[in-house]
Amino acid sequence: MKLDQSPLLDALCGEYLLGTLRGAARARFERACTEEPRVALRLQHWQHVFTPQPSEAFRMQPAPRTWQHISHDLDLRRYRQPWFARVGLWRGWALSATAALTVWLGASLLERAPVAPVMHPIATLASGAGAAPVVASLSDDGRWLQLAPSRPVLAASTQSYELWLLPPDGGAPVSVAVLGQLSAQVPVPVPLVGRLQAGARLAVSVEPAGGSPTGAPTGPVILVGAIDAV
Amino acid sequence: MLDDIHIRRLILLSAARDAEAFEQLYRLTAPVLLGVAFKITGRRELAEEVLHDAFIKIWHAAARFDPMATRPVAWMATIVRNRAIDTVSRADVARVISVDEDEDSLDRYFDWSDASEDEADSARMRHWLRGCLDELKGGERQALVLAYMHGLSHGELSNQLAKPLGTVKSWVRRGMQSLKQCVDSCMGVS
Repeated sequence: MKLDQSPLLDALCGEYLLGTLRGAARARFERACTEEPRVALRLQHWQHVFTPQPSEAFRMQPAPRTWQHISHDLDLRRYRQPWFARVGLWRGWALSATAALTVWLGASLLERAPVAPVMHPIATLASGAGAAPVVASLSDDGRWLQLAPSRPVLAASTQSYELWLLPPDGGAPVSVAVLGQLSAQVPVPVPLVGRLQAGARLAVSVEPAGGSPTGAPTGPVILVGAIDAV
Repeated sequence: MLDDIHIRRLILLSAARDAEAFEQLYRLTAPVLLGVAFKITGRRELAEEVLHDAFIKIWHAAARFDPMATRPVAWMATIVRNRAIDTVSRADVARVISVDEDEDSLDRYFDWSDASEDEADSARMRHWLRGCLDELKGGERQALVLAYMHGLSHGELSNQLAKPLGTVKSWVRRGMQSLKQCVDSCMGVS
């Protein structure tokens, strides 16, 4: 049986967070978090409620070698900016730098700037009541989904918005994300990457805080739109 | 006190593969997180191993960090706790837990103060959780706090509290259930 249908889902989330879920049961739960979006969302809700901030009273200074190992194992040298791009050194050189150097540096920095995913509109979600539409866009690699309402829309504190994928074959809606507001950029759950295709539809329902307790939309569907191009 | 806005920014920069930001994130948070790991492993060298593995995971998971969902240090501490629990669950690991549990432990172990940039909802949530923990029965609260802080299994809790395994299991189960019901009812979710 899939865990997202289990009546024990809440108990499992609680014991996982607490740390008393161990061994094979723990491994199975972690696997379900990557394969079943509803399990991941339910755990996310629990984490939102039950993750206290650790006290700083128990600080301990790590040994220098711990960072050296982390840096080595991740090969962080590959991601470091060259010496001339570090702000501290650059500040010292700034007064004597020539205009040509400035241009050259600017070009180097631009090349190294992190590349934001390029988003393409794939659907316009609208309500039957003629409310403001929301444009849904998908990143080039299909891993990020962005919702852009024409005006900010926030859920009440006791509610969440839940975004659903309605498969083209008429199958059951699949949860994509739980949102506190309609303006959002969210990662597409791994099992859904590649499934946001023409023919399918996207819909938004109003749910209790943390998302649908059943795995299917329980509240009113306020927005819906067909995916017309990817 | 760690500045949540700054830590959040460093995580997002790390997600964009900024190694300097990641190193700064480590310098600022590693001492607190090593304390979290040590409470569970009870051994310094194991805690350092956990810290190493957790930061490898934080680097890879930074792109999935949801800045709206939770306080960033709490997010990192969850990764450290999970790794620490995996580590002490290994059959070959022996550990000595020094439990210094008393009535004030909830306020010594956790920071319940509001962050300056907290959303009102998030601050309310924390106050509700603190209040709901107070409403639990003594044994249930003690079991939950010990399990959370020291990563104790049901069996270890049973030894520590000198209670039968079945009693401890039901304290944990009922305690989590009561906590959830209490917080849900504060949130207005039936």
